[in-house]
Amino acid sequence: MAAADDAHLLERLLKGEQRAYKELVTTYQSAMRAVAYAIVGQRHADEVVQDAWLSVVRSLARFEGRSSLKTWLLTITANSAKGRYKQNRREVLLDDLPSPHGTIGDERFAAGDGHWLVAPFAWHEDTPEALLTENELRECLEHTLLSLSELQSSVLLLRERQGLELEEICNLLEISLSNVRVLLHRARLKVFATVEHFEETGEC
Amino acid sequence: MLTCKEQVARSSDFLDGQLTFRERLLMRHHLLFCANCRRFIRQMRLMQATLRILPEPEVSDAQALAERLAAELKRNS
Repeated sequence: MAAADDAHLLERLLKGEQRAYKELVTTYQSAMRAVAYAIVGQRHADEVVQDAWLSVVRSLARFEGRSSLKTWLLTITANSAKGRYKQNRREVLLDDLPSPHGTIGDERFAAGDGHWLVAPFAWHEDTPEALLTENELRECLEHTLLSLSELQSSVLLLRERQGLELEEICNLLEISLSNVRVLLHRARLKVFATVEHFEETGEC
Repeated sequence: MLTCKEQVARSSDFLDGQLTFRERLLMRHHLLFCANCRRFIRQMRLMQATLRILPEPEVSDAQALAERLAAELKRNS
């Protein structure tokens, strides 16, 4: 959302316009949830998001537009997550859980020269809309996303769905750039393997 | 010259603009000569675009939450 839109929405929020609050919630809640999910895990994510919303409302009048509204909301969410669960904040888990359709692993390449042994299968569609007309693929993707570790799936969604820069993700989640890169790459290869499997076999 | 395996290993960094100038050249050079890897990168981009438009679970209680937040604002002002 552009700065002008942010300012306009903010004005309506400060007037207490209920429709503006609904717009705010539906636009940003899933990004906030992804941040909370990454820091405190699934069990406490909803509580953290609720807390964050209350802090947002309480400090709304102090929002100065130095960052985008989205960045501001996500920072509040991250702080609320960190503050509340400081004691049991987990180590950065680079754990790589098994995924339903595996990944693009070493077995796809020749041991000697590193060429493809099993070349990437050519997908039948070349737009995302066309791919997603298959409801089964949709469900299949949801399933794969759920199989990722909390941190891996959050990083993937913050990057791909929410369009955050890698540096923003590092700052919010307090993890290093190299860890973000590893998490993102592993997650993408698993999602890639899922689409490939579906395109090749027609089933999930 | 980069191998296909190395190309895949660097693909996310390539897509995210995290490679150095020299690494980017190596990557481009490999892609120029390798149809399989071109397909891989093209399909990685397609996968990214698909995640971007994959419908998100709806916020189930948006209306109730919006009402609570608007009320909270009034209480604070």
